[in-house]
Amino acid sequence: MTAAAQDILETLLTQEQIATRVAELGRDISREYAARNPLLISVLKGAVYFHTDLTRAIEIPLSIDFMAVTSYGSAPAKSGVVRLIKDLDIELTGRHVLLIEDIIDTGLTAGYLLRLLNARSPASLQICTLLDRPRRRILEALPIAYRGFEIPDRFVVGYGLDYRERYRHLPFIGVLKDSALQEADL
Amino acid sequence: MLDATREGLAGPVKGSKNSETDEVRFAHRSEAEFAGILDFYGIDWEYEPRSFPLQWDETGRVIESFNPDFYLPEYDLFIELTTLKQSLVTKKNRKVRRLRELYPDVNIKIFYGRDFRHLLLKYGLRATTATR
Repeated sequence: MTAAAQDILETLLTQEQIATRVAELGRDISREYAARNPLLISVLKGAVYFHTDLTRAIEIPLSIDFMAVTSYGSAPAKSGVVRLIKDLDIELTGRHVLLIEDIIDTGLTAGYLLRLLNARSPASLQICTLLDRPRRRILEALPIAYRGFEIPDRFVVGYGLDYRERYRHLPFIGVLKDSALQEADL
Repeated sequence: MLDATREGLAGPVKGSKNSETDEVRFAHRSEAEFAGILDFYGIDWEYEPRSFPLQWDETGRVIESFNPDFYLPEYDLFIELTTLKQSLVTKKNRKVRRLRELYPDVNIKIFYGRDFRHLLLKYGLRATTATR
């Protein structure tokens, strides 16, 4: 067991469960986006593992791109608004865009990204999220076309999801021990 | 500036995104933090813009009312932040249930203390700011 894995209370989704579901999503997207050359966008860094695995499970021509934005906690206090750190390289106008998310809970981040991307006039814009935690949803009207797993109200890490930049590299998704959260709070 | 006569709103407006957040007198630190998060993601908000009467005495005088913490006009949504203390959660759950019975067209969500704590943890912030 790695040092990082020792901080995990329980495994919520195994590497095998994730791989199986990602393959299913890849097949669904291949079928529904056939002949549309979709552009799959994700936001660094949480969705990177999902994005790379998902795109390799899709059997139709596609393009990929990445963007990066500041998160609330990383921004200087009272700095106001989300800041785009890395913009897309590919023009969105007229493209069929799939926003790839690691997790959607409140929907605040996704809502911001949808506003940003819609302003660039894509032909269509939908969301594919690996994890969905609807219990905490604030913004309901999100175009989630594909979801990997609905998860309970637990603090999860792994497969891209972090806590203070740790645990992203775990190949599974697990519930973080409270002691690990408290430790990091000190 | 906020239009207090906006459809669906009544009563005095105590604060909004268009106000300086620092000038809004929040009842608790967690509310100020939540307003900061909404500001960060460009979501318009108003703080306790409306009081919903929940109970009246025999003379028609309001004896119980409920002021949800936030209103998001773009989403026509009220949000109530709750405490980690179970007795207060139970009381607020009851008020929200009553509000939904009396005002079925009003959209309201409760954001529980645990949810808020996890939201702050996601942003790498101290969990203590989420409690009240």
